[in-house]
Amino acid sequence: MSEKKRILVADDSETIRALLQTALESAGYEVDMANDGLSAYELGSNGDYDLIILDQLMPGLLGLDVITRWHDEGLEAPVLMLTGVDDDRTAVESFDQGAVDYVRKPFRITELMARIRMRL
Amino acid sequence: MFPDQLVPMAVLVIFSINAALLAGLVLLKVVHRRRTLSHNARRQEYLKLLSHHISVDNSVEPITESMAEDQAFLDALIDMRNVITGDEVSTLRRIVNHHGVIERQMRYLDTSLLLSRRLRAAVALAELGDETSAETLMSHLDDREPEIRIQAARGLGRIQWTPAIDQIVSRFSDEIPWVRVRFSDTLVGYGIKATWPLIAYIRINHRFESKGPALALRTIAQIQDDQAVAPLLEILEETTDLEIQIATVDALAELGSPEASTALNSLLESEHWELRAKAATALGGLGESSAIPRLTTAMREENWWVRRSAAAAVARLPQGIEALYRSLDDDDPFAADAAAEALADAGELVSARERAEKIGADNEPLLVHMGSLGTGS
Repeated sequence: MSEKKRILVADDSETIRALLQTALESAGYEVDMANDGLSAYELGSNGDYDLIILDQLMPGLLGLDVITRWHDEGLEAPVLMLTGVDDDRTAVESFDQGAVDYVRKPFRITELMARIRMRL
Repeated sequence: MFPDQLVPMAVLVIFSINAALLAGLVLLKVVHRRRTLSHNARRQEYLKLLSHHISVDNSVEPITESMAEDQAFLDALIDMRNVITGDEVSTLRRIVNHHGVIERQMRYLDTSLLLSRRLRAAVALAELGDETSAETLMSHLDDREPEIRIQAARGLGRIQWTPAIDQIVSRFSDEIPWVRVRFSDTLVGYGIKATWPLIAYIRINHRFESKGPALALRTIAQIQDDQAVAPLLEILEETTDLEIQIATVDALAELGSPEASTALNSLLESEHWELRAKAATALGGLGESSAIPRLTTAMREENWWVRRSAAAAVARLPQGIEALYRSLDDDDPFAADAAAEALADAGELVSARERAEKIGADNEPLLVHMGSLGTGS
Protein backbone atom coordinates (compact mmCIF):
# COMPACT_ATOMS: atom_id res chain seq x y z
CA MET A 1 0.00 0.00 0.00
CA SER A 2 1.51 3.33 -1.03
CA GLU A 3 1.93 6.02 1.62
CA LYS A 4 -0.33 9.04 1.49
CA LYS A 5 1.25 12.23 0.11
CA ARG A 6 1.50 14.98 2.71
CA ILE A 7 0.48 18.54 1.97
CA LEU A 8 0.75 21.66 4.14
CA VAL A 9 -1.86 24.36 3.54
CA ALA A 10 -0.98 27.78 4.96
CA ASP A 11 -3.68 30.42 4.64
CA ASP A 12 -5.24 32.83 7.13
CA SER A 13 -8.66 32.45 5.50
CA GLU A 14 -10.77 29.91 7.31
CA THR A 15 -12.86 29.47 4.16
CA ILE A 16 -9.88 28.57 2.01
CA ARG A 17 -8.51 26.21 4.64
CA ALA A 18 -11.88 24.43 4.87
CA LEU A 19 -12.20 24.20 1.10
CA LEU A 20 -8.67 22.93 0.51
CA GLN A 21 -8.76 20.50 3.43
CA THR A 22 -11.98 18.94 2.18
CA ALA A 23 -10.83 18.81 -1.43
CA LEU A 24 -7.37 17.43 -0.63
CA GLU A 25 -8.54 14.86 1.92
CA SER A 26 -11.27 13.71 -0.47
CA ALA A 27 -8.56 13.22 -3.07
CA GLY A 28 -6.59 11.02 -0.66
CA TYR A 29 -3.92 13.39 0.60
CA GLU A 30 -2.87 13.88 4.19
CA VAL A 31 -3.27 17.56 5.08
CA ASP A 32 -1.82 19.82 7.76
CA MET A 33 -3.01 23.38 8.28
CA ALA A 34 -1.37 26.65 9.30
CA ASN A 35 -3.25 29.91 9.73
CA ASP A 36 -0.35 32.37 9.90
CA GLY A 37 3.11 32.88 8.45
CA LEU A 38 5.09 31.87 11.53
CA SER A 39 3.32 28.56 12.09
CA ALA A 40 3.57 27.89 8.35
CA TYR A 41 7.32 28.45 8.55
CA GLU A 42 7.70 26.20 11.59
CA LEU A 43 5.52 23.38 10.25
CA GLY A 44 7.16 23.56 6.83
CA SER A 45 10.66 23.54 8.31
CA ASN A 46 9.99 20.57 10.57
CA GLY A 47 7.57 18.48 8.54
CA ASP A 48 8.34 16.28 5.61
CA TYR A 49 5.85 17.57 3.06
CA ASP A 50 5.45 16.55 -0.54
CA LEU A 51 3.87 19.94 -1.35
CA ILE A 52 3.23 23.22 0.44
CA ILE A 53 0.40 25.55 -0.54
CA LEU A 54 1.29 28.99 0.76
CA ASP A 55 -0.79 32.17 0.90
CA GLN A 56 1.05 35.46 0.34
CA LEU A 57 -0.79 37.82 2.72
CA MET A 58 -0.74 36.24 6.18
CA PRO A 59 -0.27 37.65 9.67
CA GLY A 60 3.12 37.03 11.27
CA LEU A 61 5.15 36.50 8.12
CA LEU A 62 4.29 37.13 4.49
CA GLY A 63 4.30 34.07 2.25
CA LEU A 64 7.18 35.55 0.27
CA ASP A 65 9.24 35.93 3.48
CA VAL A 66 8.46 32.34 4.47
CA ILE A 67 9.50 30.95 1.09
CA THR A 68 12.66 33.12 1.14
CA ARG A 69 13.66 31.64 4.52
CA TRP A 70 13.01 28.11 3.28
CA HIS A 71 14.99 28.86 0.15
CA ASP A 72 17.95 30.08 2.26
CA GLU A 73 17.71 26.98 4.46
CA GLY A 74 17.57 24.63 1.48
CA LEU A 75 14.05 23.26 2.04
CA GLU A 76 13.24 21.03 -0.89
CA ALA A 77 9.46 20.69 -0.76
CA PRO A 78 7.78 22.27 -3.79
CA VAL A 79 5.81 25.38 -2.88
CA LEU A 80 2.67 26.54 -4.66
CA MET A 81 1.87 30.18 -3.96
CA LEU A 82 -1.80 31.01 -3.57
CA THR A 83 -2.57 34.68 -3.38
CA GLY A 84 -5.12 37.45 -3.72
CA VAL A 85 -2.35 39.89 -4.59
CA ASP A 86 -2.66 40.73 -8.28
CA ASP A 87 0.95 41.73 -8.61
CA ASP A 88 3.38 40.37 -11.17
CA ARG A 89 6.37 41.37 -9.05
CA THR A 90 5.26 39.10 -6.21
CA ALA A 91 4.82 36.28 -8.71
CA VAL A 92 8.29 36.78 -10.15
CA GLU A 93 9.90 37.05 -6.70
CA SER A 94 8.08 33.87 -5.61
CA PHE A 95 9.48 31.96 -8.57
CA ASP A 96 12.94 33.43 -7.86
CA GLN A 97 12.71 32.02 -4.35
CA GLY A 98 11.82 28.56 -5.67
CA ALA A 99 8.02 28.48 -5.91
CA VAL A 100 6.94 25.93 -8.51
CA ASP A 101 3.54 27.45 -9.23
CA TYR A 102 1.47 30.55 -8.56
CA VAL A 103 -2.35 30.65 -8.38
CA ARG A 104 -4.43 33.78 -7.94
CA LYS A 105 -7.57 34.02 -5.80
CA PRO A 106 -10.41 33.58 -6.48
CA PHE A 107 -9.56 30.24 -8.02
CA ARG A 108 -11.21 27.15 -9.49
CA ILE A 109 -10.69 24.23 -7.16
CA THR A 110 -10.67 21.77 -10.09
CA GLU A 111 -7.82 23.70 -11.70
CA LEU A 112 -5.90 23.94 -8.44
CA MET A 113 -6.30 20.20 -7.87
CA ALA A 114 -5.02 19.52 -11.40
CA ARG A 115 -1.94 21.64 -10.71
CA ILE A 116 -1.38 19.78 -7.43
CA ARG A 117 -1.68 16.38 -9.15
CA MET A 118 0.85 17.51 -11.71
CA ARG A 119 3.38 18.25 -8.95
CA LEU A 120 2.89 15.02 -6.99
CA MET B 1 -33.48 59.35 63.40
CA PHE B 2 -35.25 59.59 60.07
CA PRO B 3 -32.39 61.13 58.04
CA ASP B 4 -29.95 58.70 59.63
CA GLN B 5 -31.99 55.80 58.24
CA LEU B 6 -32.57 57.40 54.87
CA VAL B 7 -28.93 57.77 53.91
CA PRO B 8 -27.93 54.10 54.35
CA MET B 9 -31.18 53.10 52.65
CA ALA B 10 -30.42 55.31 49.65
CA VAL B 11 -26.87 53.95 49.46
CA LEU B 12 -28.25 50.42 49.56
CA VAL B 13 -30.77 51.15 46.81
CA ILE B 14 -28.13 52.77 44.58
CA PHE B 15 -25.73 49.91 45.24
CA SER B 16 -28.44 47.36 44.43
CA ILE B 17 -29.36 49.11 41.18
CA ASN B 18 -25.71 49.30 40.13
CA ALA B 19 -25.16 45.65 41.02
CA ALA B 20 -28.26 44.64 39.06
CA LEU B 21 -27.15 46.70 36.03
CA LEU B 22 -23.68 45.23 36.21
CA ALA B 23 -25.05 41.70 36.48
CA GLY B 24 -27.33 42.42 33.53
CA LEU B 25 -24.40 43.66 31.46
CA VAL B 26 -22.28 40.64 32.34
CA LEU B 27 -25.17 38.35 31.47
CA LEU B 28 -25.69 40.10 28.15
CA LYS B 29 -22.02 39.82 27.36
CA VAL B 30 -21.98 36.12 28.21
CA VAL B 31 -25.05 35.49 26.08
CA HIS B 32 -23.57 37.47 23.20
CA ARG B 33 -20.28 35.61 23.45
CA ARG B 34 -21.99 32.25 23.50
CA ARG B 35 -24.11 33.20 20.52
CA THR B 36 -21.03 34.39 18.62
CA LEU B 37 -19.13 31.20 19.43
CA SER B 38 -22.08 29.08 18.41
CA HIS B 39 -22.51 31.10 15.21
CA ASN B 40 -18.82 30.68 14.33
CA ALA B 41 -18.90 26.95 15.06
CA ARG B 42 -21.94 26.50 12.84
CA ARG B 43 -20.38 28.64 10.13
CA GLN B 44 -17.29 26.44 10.24
CA GLU B 45 -19.41 23.31 9.84
CA TYR B 46 -21.27 24.91 6.94
CA LEU B 47 -17.98 25.83 5.29
CA LYS B 48 -16.96 22.18 5.41
CA LEU B 49 -20.34 21.14 4.05
CA LEU B 50 -20.16 23.63 1.19
CA SER B 51 -16.55 22.65 0.52
CA HIS B 52 -17.71 19.08 0.14
CA HIS B 53 -20.40 20.03 -2.36
CA ILE B 54 -17.94 22.13 -4.33
CA SER B 55 -14.95 19.81 -4.40
CA VAL B 56 -16.54 16.36 -4.47
CA ASP B 57 -18.53 15.30 -7.52
CA ASN B 58 -22.15 14.38 -6.76
CA SER B 59 -21.82 15.06 -3.06
CA VAL B 60 -24.81 13.76 -1.11
CA GLU B 61 -24.03 15.57 2.14
CA PRO B 62 -27.47 16.82 3.23
CA ILE B 63 -28.34 20.51 3.50
CA THR B 64 -31.56 20.80 5.47
CA GLU B 65 -34.10 23.63 5.35
CA SER B 66 -33.23 24.70 8.89
CA MET B 67 -29.57 24.96 7.89
CA ALA B 68 -30.47 27.03 4.86
CA GLU B 69 -32.41 29.47 7.05
CA ASP B 70 -29.50 29.93 9.46
CA GLN B 71 -27.61 33.25 9.24
CA ALA B 72 -24.36 31.29 9.76
CA PHE B 73 -25.13 29.31 6.60
CA LEU B 74 -25.65 32.54 4.69
CA ASP B 75 -22.32 33.89 5.98
CA ALA B 76 -20.58 30.67 4.92
CA LEU B 77 -22.17 30.92 1.47
CA ILE B 78 -20.92 34.50 1.08
CA ASP B 79 -17.41 33.61 2.26
CA MET B 80 -17.27 30.68 -0.14
CA ARG B 81 -18.63 32.76 -3.02
CA ASN B 82 -15.70 35.14 -2.59
CA VAL B 83 -12.93 32.56 -2.88
CA ILE B 84 -14.09 30.48 -5.83
CA THR B 85 -14.66 31.20 -9.49
CA GLY B 86 -15.69 29.43 -12.69
CA ASP B 87 -17.81 26.27 -12.62
CA GLU B 88 -17.75 26.06 -8.84
CA VAL B 89 -19.82 29.24 -8.63
CA SER B 90 -22.55 27.38 -10.51
CA THR B 91 -22.48 24.64 -7.90
CA LEU B 92 -22.90 27.22 -5.18
CA ARG B 93 -25.67 28.90 -7.18
CA ARG B 94 -27.51 25.59 -7.45
CA ILE B 95 -27.43 25.23 -3.66
CA VAL B 96 -28.61 28.83 -3.24
CA ASN B 97 -31.49 28.38 -5.68
CA HIS B 98 -32.51 24.96 -4.42
CA HIS B 99 -32.92 26.25 -0.89
CA GLY B 100 -34.59 29.55 -1.81
CA VAL B 101 -31.81 31.61 -0.23
CA ILE B 102 -32.20 34.56 -2.61
CA GLU B 103 -36.01 34.61 -2.31
CA ARG B 104 -35.76 34.62 1.46
CA GLN B 105 -33.30 37.53 1.49
CA MET B 106 -35.43 39.48 -1.00
CA ARG B 107 -38.42 38.96 1.29
CA TYR B 108 -36.48 40.20 4.30
CA LEU B 109 -35.27 43.22 2.38
CA ASP B 110 -38.78 44.07 1.19
CA THR B 111 -40.79 43.40 4.30
CA SER B 112 -38.76 43.10 7.47
CA LEU B 113 -39.36 45.77 10.10
CA LEU B 114 -35.90 45.24 11.55
CA LEU B 115 -33.29 47.47 9.97
CA SER B 116 -30.48 45.06 10.90
CA ARG B 117 -32.23 42.21 9.07
CA ARG B 118 -32.87 44.38 6.01
CA LEU B 119 -29.23 45.47 6.00
CA ARG B 120 -28.00 41.89 6.28
CA ALA B 121 -30.31 40.89 3.46
CA ALA B 122 -29.06 43.73 1.25
CA VAL B 123 -25.43 42.79 1.92
CA ALA B 124 -26.19 39.12 1.25
CA LEU B 125 -27.88 39.90 -2.07
CA ALA B 126 -25.00 42.17 -3.06
CA GLU B 127 -22.42 39.53 -2.17
CA LEU B 128 -24.20 36.56 -3.73
CA GLY B 129 -24.78 38.49 -6.95
CA ASP B 130 -27.66 36.49 -8.37
CA GLU B 131 -29.59 37.82 -11.37
CA THR B 132 -32.93 36.83 -9.89
CA SER B 133 -32.47 39.60 -7.31
CA ALA B 134 -31.96 42.36 -9.92
CA GLU B 135 -35.49 43.79 -9.89
CA THR B 136 -35.62 43.82 -6.10
CA LEU B 137 -32.25 45.55 -5.91
CA MET B 138 -33.38 48.09 -8.53
CA SER B 139 -36.38 48.97 -6.37
CA HIS B 140 -34.09 49.54 -3.38
CA LEU B 141 -31.91 52.10 -5.13
CA ASP B 142 -34.52 54.47 -3.64
CA ASP B 143 -34.55 52.85 -0.20
CA ARG B 144 -34.87 55.22 2.75
CA GLU B 145 -31.67 53.74 4.26
CA PRO B 146 -28.46 55.00 2.59
CA GLU B 147 -26.51 51.80 3.29
CA ILE B 148 -29.23 49.73 1.63
CA ARG B 149 -29.11 51.99 -1.44
CA ILE B 150 -25.34 51.42 -1.56
CA GLN B 151 -25.69 47.65 -1.25
CA ALA B 152 -28.43 47.59 -3.90
CA ALA B 153 -26.14 49.39 -6.36
CA ARG B 154 -23.22 47.14 -5.42
CA GLY B 155 -25.29 44.01 -6.03
CA LEU B 156 -26.47 45.30 -9.39
CA GLY B 157 -22.88 46.09 -10.29
CA ARG B 158 -21.76 42.65 -9.24
CA ILE B 159 -24.16 41.00 -11.66
CA GLN B 160 -23.36 43.67 -14.28
CA TRP B 161 -27.06 44.55 -14.58
CA THR B 162 -26.81 47.19 -17.31
CA PRO B 163 -30.36 48.63 -16.94
CA ALA B 164 -29.19 49.84 -13.53
CA ILE B 165 -26.47 52.09 -14.94
CA ASP B 166 -28.82 54.92 -15.94
CA GLN B 167 -30.69 54.57 -12.67
CA ILE B 168 -27.52 54.87 -10.61
CA VAL B 169 -26.12 57.75 -12.67
CA SER B 170 -29.37 59.70 -12.48
CA ARG B 171 -29.11 59.64 -8.67
CA PHE B 172 -25.78 61.48 -8.66
CA SER B 173 -27.54 64.85 -8.39
CA ASP B 174 -29.79 64.05 -5.45
CA GLU B 175 -27.76 61.61 -3.37
CA ILE B 176 -25.90 62.44 -0.18
CA PRO B 177 -22.14 62.74 -0.87
CA TRP B 178 -20.89 59.47 0.65
CA VAL B 179 -23.58 57.41 -1.10
CA ARG B 180 -22.73 59.17 -4.35
CA VAL B 181 -19.08 58.17 -3.95
CA ARG B 182 -20.03 54.53 -3.40
CA PHE B 183 -22.30 54.69 -6.46
CA SER B 184 -19.29 55.95 -8.38
CA ASP B 185 -17.28 52.90 -7.23
CA THR B 186 -20.04 50.66 -8.55
CA LEU B 187 -20.05 52.43 -11.91
CA VAL B 188 -16.28 52.02 -12.21
CA GLY B 189 -16.94 48.29 -11.86
CA TYR B 190 -19.22 48.44 -14.90
CA GLY B 191 -16.26 49.69 -16.96
CA ILE B 192 -16.80 51.23 -20.38
CA LYS B 193 -20.50 50.33 -20.30
CA ALA B 194 -20.94 53.29 -17.94
CA THR B 195 -19.03 55.85 -20.06
CA TRP B 196 -21.86 57.15 -22.26
CA PRO B 197 -24.53 57.27 -19.55
CA LEU B 198 -22.09 59.31 -17.46
CA ILE B 199 -21.30 61.65 -20.35
CA ALA B 200 -25.01 62.13 -21.09
CA TYR B 201 -25.59 62.92 -17.41
CA ILE B 202 -22.79 65.51 -17.38
CA ARG B 203 -24.02 67.16 -20.59
CA ILE B 204 -27.50 67.60 -19.16
CA ASN B 205 -26.55 68.61 -15.63
CA HIS B 206 -23.36 70.68 -15.83
CA ARG B 207 -25.36 73.89 -16.28
CA PHE B 208 -27.38 73.34 -13.12
CA GLU B 209 -25.00 71.95 -10.51
CA SER B 210 -21.35 71.05 -9.90
CA LYS B 211 -21.06 68.18 -7.43
CA GLY B 212 -22.79 65.42 -9.39
CA PRO B 213 -21.11 66.19 -12.75
CA ALA B 214 -17.71 66.59 -11.05
CA LEU B 215 -18.02 63.12 -9.51
CA ALA B 216 -19.25 61.73 -12.83
CA LEU B 217 -16.07 63.13 -14.40
CA ARG B 218 -13.90 61.52 -11.74
CA THR B 219 -15.73 58.25 -12.39
CA ILE B 220 -14.99 58.52 -16.12
CA ALA B 221 -11.33 59.16 -15.31
CA GLN B 222 -11.19 55.92 -13.32
CA ILE B 223 -12.91 53.93 -16.05
CA GLN B 224 -10.10 54.90 -18.44
CA ASP B 225 -12.15 54.78 -21.64
CA ASP B 226 -10.45 56.65 -24.52
CA GLN B 227 -13.83 57.22 -26.14
CA ALA B 228 -14.54 59.77 -23.43
CA VAL B 229 -11.82 62.20 -24.60
CA ALA B 230 -13.76 63.91 -27.44
CA PRO B 231 -16.95 64.47 -25.42
CA LEU B 232 -14.89 65.67 -22.46
CA LEU B 233 -13.27 68.29 -24.68
CA GLU B 234 -16.73 69.44 -25.76
CA ILE B 235 -17.84 69.69 -22.15
CA LEU B 236 -14.70 71.67 -21.34
CA GLU B 237 -15.60 74.12 -24.10
CA GLU B 238 -19.21 74.47 -22.99
CA THR B 239 -18.98 74.68 -19.22
CA THR B 240 -18.29 77.84 -17.25
CA ASP B 241 -18.33 76.11 -13.87
CA LEU B 242 -14.83 76.11 -12.38
CA GLU B 243 -15.29 72.87 -10.38
CA ILE B 244 -16.47 71.04 -13.50
CA GLN B 245 -13.66 72.53 -15.59
CA ILE B 246 -11.09 71.33 -13.06
CA ALA B 247 -12.65 67.85 -12.88
CA THR B 248 -12.66 67.68 -16.70
CA VAL B 249 -8.99 68.62 -16.91
CA ASP B 250 -8.20 66.03 -14.23
CA ALA B 251 -10.11 63.41 -16.23
CA LEU B 252 -8.30 64.36 -19.43
CA ALA B 253 -5.00 64.11 -17.58
CA GLU B 254 -5.93 60.62 -16.35
CA LEU B 255 -6.90 59.55 -19.85
CA GLY B 256 -3.60 60.95 -21.15
CA SER B 257 -4.77 61.50 -24.70
CA PRO B 258 -2.71 63.79 -27.03
CA GLU B 259 -6.05 64.99 -28.49
CA ALA B 260 -6.40 67.10 -25.36
CA SER B 261 -3.18 69.04 -25.79
CA THR B 262 -4.61 72.03 -27.75
CA ALA B 263 -7.36 72.59 -25.21
CA LEU B 264 -4.95 72.21 -22.31
CA ASN B 265 -2.47 74.64 -23.87
CA SER B 266 -5.16 77.28 -24.19
CA LEU B 267 -6.17 76.71 -20.56
CA LEU B 268 -2.69 77.89 -19.55
CA GLU B 269 -4.15 81.35 -20.32
CA SER B 270 -7.24 80.85 -18.14
CA GLU B 271 -8.19 83.61 -15.70
CA HIS B 272 -8.34 80.99 -12.91
CA TRP B 273 -4.98 79.98 -11.46
CA GLU B 274 -6.41 76.57 -10.39
CA LEU B 275 -7.17 75.76 -14.01
CA ARG B 276 -3.79 77.01 -15.24
CA ALA B 277 -2.05 74.78 -12.69
CA LYS B 278 -4.21 71.75 -13.54
CA ALA B 279 -3.67 72.28 -17.27
CA ALA B 280 0.10 72.44 -16.72
CA THR B 281 0.05 69.18 -14.73
CA ALA B 282 -2.10 67.50 -17.37
CA LEU B 283 0.27 68.61 -20.16
CA GLY B 284 3.13 67.03 -18.24
CA GLY B 285 1.25 63.74 -18.33
CA LEU B 286 0.74 63.76 -22.10
CA GLY B 287 4.45 63.23 -22.72
CA GLU B 288 4.78 65.69 -25.60
CA SER B 289 7.91 67.83 -25.53
CA SER B 290 6.18 70.35 -27.82
CA ALA B 291 4.48 71.62 -24.66
CA ILE B 292 7.80 72.71 -23.11
CA PRO B 293 7.89 76.30 -24.51
CA ARG B 294 4.37 77.05 -23.20
CA LEU B 295 5.16 75.46 -19.85
CA THR B 296 8.44 77.34 -19.39
CA THR B 297 6.51 80.54 -20.10
CA ALA B 298 4.04 79.47 -17.41
CA MET B 299 7.01 79.15 -15.03
CA ARG B 300 7.31 82.94 -15.15
CA GLU B 301 3.76 83.72 -14.17
CA GLU B 302 2.52 85.44 -11.01
CA ASN B 303 0.99 82.48 -9.16
CA TRP B 304 3.57 80.30 -7.37
CA TRP B 305 1.48 77.12 -7.58
CA VAL B 306 1.15 77.48 -11.34
CA ARG B 307 4.93 78.06 -11.62
CA ARG B 308 5.59 74.98 -9.51
CA SER B 309 3.07 72.82 -11.46
CA ALA B 310 4.49 73.96 -14.79
CA ALA B 311 8.08 73.19 -13.74
CA ALA B 312 7.06 69.78 -12.39
CA ALA B 313 5.26 69.09 -15.68
CA VAL B 314 8.35 70.05 -17.70
CA ALA B 315 10.42 67.61 -15.61
CA ARG B 316 8.15 64.75 -16.74
CA LEU B 317 8.53 65.46 -20.46
CA PRO B 318 11.23 64.22 -22.84
CA GLN B 319 14.06 66.83 -22.92
CA GLY B 320 12.33 68.47 -19.95
CA ILE B 321 15.28 68.17 -17.60
CA GLU B 322 17.52 70.00 -20.10
CA ALA B 323 14.88 72.71 -20.41
CA LEU B 324 14.81 73.11 -16.64
CA TYR B 325 18.60 73.47 -16.51
CA ARG B 326 18.29 76.23 -19.10
CA SER B 327 15.59 77.90 -16.99
CA LEU B 328 18.02 78.10 -14.08
CA ASP B 329 19.54 81.05 -15.92
CA ASP B 330 16.16 82.66 -16.62
CA ASP B 331 16.06 86.43 -16.03
CA ASP B 332 12.93 85.87 -13.98
CA PRO B 333 14.15 84.71 -10.56
CA PHE B 334 10.78 83.01 -9.87
CA ALA B 335 11.13 80.87 -13.01
CA ALA B 336 14.70 79.95 -12.03
CA ASP B 337 13.52 79.08 -8.55
CA ALA B 338 10.68 76.86 -9.90
CA ALA B 339 13.17 75.12 -12.20
CA ALA B 340 15.58 74.47 -9.32
CA GLU B 341 12.79 73.08 -7.18
CA ALA B 342 11.59 70.77 -9.96
CA LEU B 343 15.16 69.59 -10.60
CA ALA B 344 15.58 68.85 -6.92
CA ASP B 345 12.29 66.93 -6.86
CA ALA B 346 13.36 64.99 -9.95
CA GLY B 347 16.49 63.81 -8.13
CA GLU B 348 18.79 65.89 -10.32
CA LEU B 349 20.70 67.45 -7.45
CA VAL B 350 23.98 65.64 -7.93
CA SER B 351 24.35 66.48 -11.58
CA ALA B 352 22.94 69.94 -10.89
CA ARG B 353 25.67 70.54 -8.36
CA GLU B 354 28.36 69.31 -10.73
CA ARG B 355 26.97 71.64 -13.32
CA ALA B 356 26.81 74.52 -10.86
CA GLU B 357 30.46 73.94 -10.00
CA LYS B 358 31.34 73.88 -13.67
CA ILE B 359 29.64 77.21 -14.32
CA GLY B 360 31.10 78.78 -11.21
CA ALA B 361 28.70 77.71 -8.49
CA ASP B 362 26.92 81.02 -8.53
CA ASN B 363 23.43 79.92 -9.46
CA GLU B 364 21.53 81.17 -6.48
CA PRO B 365 18.18 79.34 -6.81
CA LEU B 366 19.92 76.04 -7.38
CA LEU B 367 22.25 76.47 -4.43
CA VAL B 368 19.34 77.46 -2.21
CA HIS B 369 17.47 74.27 -3.11
CA MET B 370 20.53 72.09 -2.75
CA GLY B 371 21.12 73.62 0.66
CA SER B 372 17.51 73.26 1.80
CA LEU B 373 17.58 69.57 0.96
CA GLY B 374 20.83 69.05 2.83
CA THR B 375 22.87 68.14 -0.20
CA GLY B 376 24.67 71.38 -0.72
CA SER B 377 28.34 71.65 0.01
